[in-house]
Amino acid sequence: MKTLVLPLFFLVPLVAAERDMARELDEVARVATAMVDGDTCRRIVTPRALQYMFKQDPRDPWAAGDNYEVNDEAFISVKKVLIRLSRLAPFPCDVNLWMPIAGHPDKVRVVIRNVNELSQFWPWGALFQDMIPQMKQVLETGHRITVTEKPGWVSVLAPVYNSLGDITALVEAASEKRLDAHENVK
Amino acid sequence: MPLSTKGRALAIVFGAAVGIPAVAQRRVELAAIDEYRRPDPFGSIVAADGGAALTLRRELSFENARGSYVSFHLIVKMARPGPYSLAIRFAGESGKLEADLFREWFHFTDSDKKYYPDALIPVAQPYESRIPEPDNRIPNQTAQAFWVDFWIPPDAAPAVYRARAVLKSEGASSELPIQLKVLPAVVPNDDVLLMDHNSYGTSWLADDYPAISGRLGDAFFQSDEFFRLIHAYHRIFYEHRGILHQLGYGHAGKVGPEFVPALEGSGRGRRVANWSLYDRHYGPLFDGSAFASTRRGARPIPFVYLPVNPEWPASFLNWGEPGYEVEFVNVLSEMERHFRERGWTETRFELFFNHKKRYMGFPWDGDEVRFPADNRYFLEYGRLLKKALPPQTPVKFVFRADVSWDMEQQFKDLAGVVNMWTASRDILSWLPRAPAMLHERGDVIWYYSGPPTVTLPASSITQFPLEGWMWGVGGFVHWLVVSAGSDPWFHFDGGSTALVYPGERFGIEGPIPSVRLKIQRNTMQDLAMLASLAKRKPLDELKSQAALQYNHTGLSDWWNPRPAFADQPTYEWNGSGLEEAMKPAMSHLEHIDPAAWARVRQYVTRLAAEEK
Repeated sequence: MKTLVLPLFFLVPLVAAERDMARELDEVARVATAMVDGDTCRRIVTPRALQYMFKQDPRDPWAAGDNYEVNDEAFISVKKVLIRLSRLAPFPCDVNLWMPIAGHPDKVRVVIRNVNELSQFWPWGALFQDMIPQMKQVLETGHRITVTEKPGWVSVLAPVYNSLGDITALVEAASEKRLDAHENVK
Repeated sequence: MPLSTKGRALAIVFGAAVGIPAVAQRRVELAAIDEYRRPDPFGSIVAADGGAALTLRRELSFENARGSYVSFHLIVKMARPGPYSLAIRFAGESGKLEADLFREWFHFTDSDKKYYPDALIPVAQPYESRIPEPDNRIPNQTAQAFWVDFWIPPDAAPAVYRARAVLKSEGASSELPIQLKVLPAVVPNDDVLLMDHNSYGTSWLADDYPAISGRLGDAFFQSDEFFRLIHAYHRIFYEHRGILHQLGYGHAGKVGPEFVPALEGSGRGRRVANWSLYDRHYGPLFDGSAFASTRRGARPIPFVYLPVNPEWPASFLNWGEPGYEVEFVNVLSEMERHFRERGWTETRFELFFNHKKRYMGFPWDGDEVRFPADNRYFLEYGRLLKKALPPQTPVKFVFRADVSWDMEQQFKDLAGVVNMWTASRDILSWLPRAPAMLHERGDVIWYYSGPPTVTLPASSITQFPLEGWMWGVGGFVHWLVVSAGSDPWFHFDGGSTALVYPGERFGIEGPIPSVRLKIQRNTMQDLAMLASLAKRKPLDELKSQAALQYNHTGLSDWWNPRPAFADQPTYEWNGSGLEEAMKPAMSHLEHIDPAAWARVRQYVTRLAAEEK
């Protein structure tokens, strides 16, 4: 694991509340880098599901979702860590797991989401999406990055390492200044 | 009425009417057409329903059982723009009959650049406006359509009643005589199956009622206005012989505050802290008082989703550990006790999992299991539910599973655990013995699809109640019915996720119905009448005749052969294979002609007329 982790802030200046939130989320994300096991993360989504993810069949447009499958043991193990991490913050936040996709460097996918349904990046329902530039930077540099592009939102992205020292995933510690209790209840 | 005006009073007799040609150049005309032929704003029938110019007839005559609605489209035609008034008046004794008038909104659909009437705006009588209708903003509009509902209460006296629709415009008038023969027979209040209408959360209410939510701001979601809106949505479906389901949690377990009792503590300390919002939401639904003002009378809702999901009431952090079981069992026990103490024992409370792996909240599919390994989670939750409930509780808890790919195996593997099944239409279509098998062991079996768009023939929606009755299931679910799109009024997406519309635009603090919902209601009442006649005729004969009249099919045509791939593991199936497997039965339902249900109704009415 890299020892030098520099917090980078995008779209400054942050207002005071966001600054406090960003500081707390940065701490959550920092701990996440230490706590989340990148080897286990790689075992979550099955190879079969990854094969289907990019298959195109006009007669079967839902094939990718219908064949999405995970190893529940690995999923649960990582999800529990993410839940615990979210409780480090003194306000509601989610810690989501994101992963790159082998052979598709321009894409990224969310792998685990959590109870508050908070993410600054996930378009609801997407199995994968275009790589987020800040995520690409985290994956390449190992530096934590704070993102406040969406008004009122703060996400801190941090790398997740495997036993070889490679970055295999990243976490998004996310919250919103003004939580909407009814959003995404669907 | 002067003869010249009388000559313009043109109408229809449904069934055996004698038609006379339309008089094209008349300045003001009043016409009527059956419910399955929707008018357009220019005096014709929409292409999907036949497309012919309106056929105007001399008299409107109906024969119906009590406890039912008589419906038709009434069309005001004016060659030139101008004001008019329209009213329906009983001639002589009205008995207990009532006439409801709705203005039909013509939606412009972006997909085919055409107008379709669907939203129905209740209007007071006489209705006074002008053509073109100012708010609908249709260039060169020459016709305005209205939906008429005559309500015949169950205790109305059997007799012949007479009414008139009266149109007035700048000194001219036109009348349309209407005769209603009320039969002694009464349509049962209970339906042959439950027509269920599904929705998710409540955030859409703030969007659909911006004046109310804007006025109340942050207080909206805890206001009396908010709960009145929710109850109004339940009421409109109930009044249309249906029910509403609102799911109160998201795919990663987020719960809407009004769908749950507030909790506090964790582990052994987890308990209900406050029932306030939950009881304001559900109390009037569970005791039936939300329906006190309806024509069908107060009655508790028959089914409701519980908010239980893998993250509520127990935290998923503790999944697989003693803490999960304690949190789940203790809170469910409190819920059972609360429901019992309140006397909420008529409603079935559904333990139901809606999440899917593909939404990354949890590692198993609660909805539409494809991979059989996921069934072990159902077994575990069945164990937890059993542990939470006293053995002899009068509160009705059910374990519901919405099933597709793996349903055939799940019916076996989860027998005795899951006892309410909502099945996909396609796969159930090749399991003709499943409904009876499930009924016999005491399970509930429903199936699901979605509302037909307005661009399809108006009669399309009749297929679901009829198919459900043919199949012998207990319910049908339209999967989403309150999402009319960002601009249903001028850029409509067709309404495949909407059977009601927000009424705020028209000064109504609640939903307004649609043509499709009205047609569905009338289908349900006909089926209720028909099924009640099973004491005189074998049920299969009634079903056979209904199928024959509807689309010239036999009972077996409503089922599909079991495809060869059904013997393969479900994870090897694919969507295109499923589509192919559906085709034989679906081919009979692809083109429902506008008169399809009218023929069934004629059959029902003939039998009902023999009832004393």
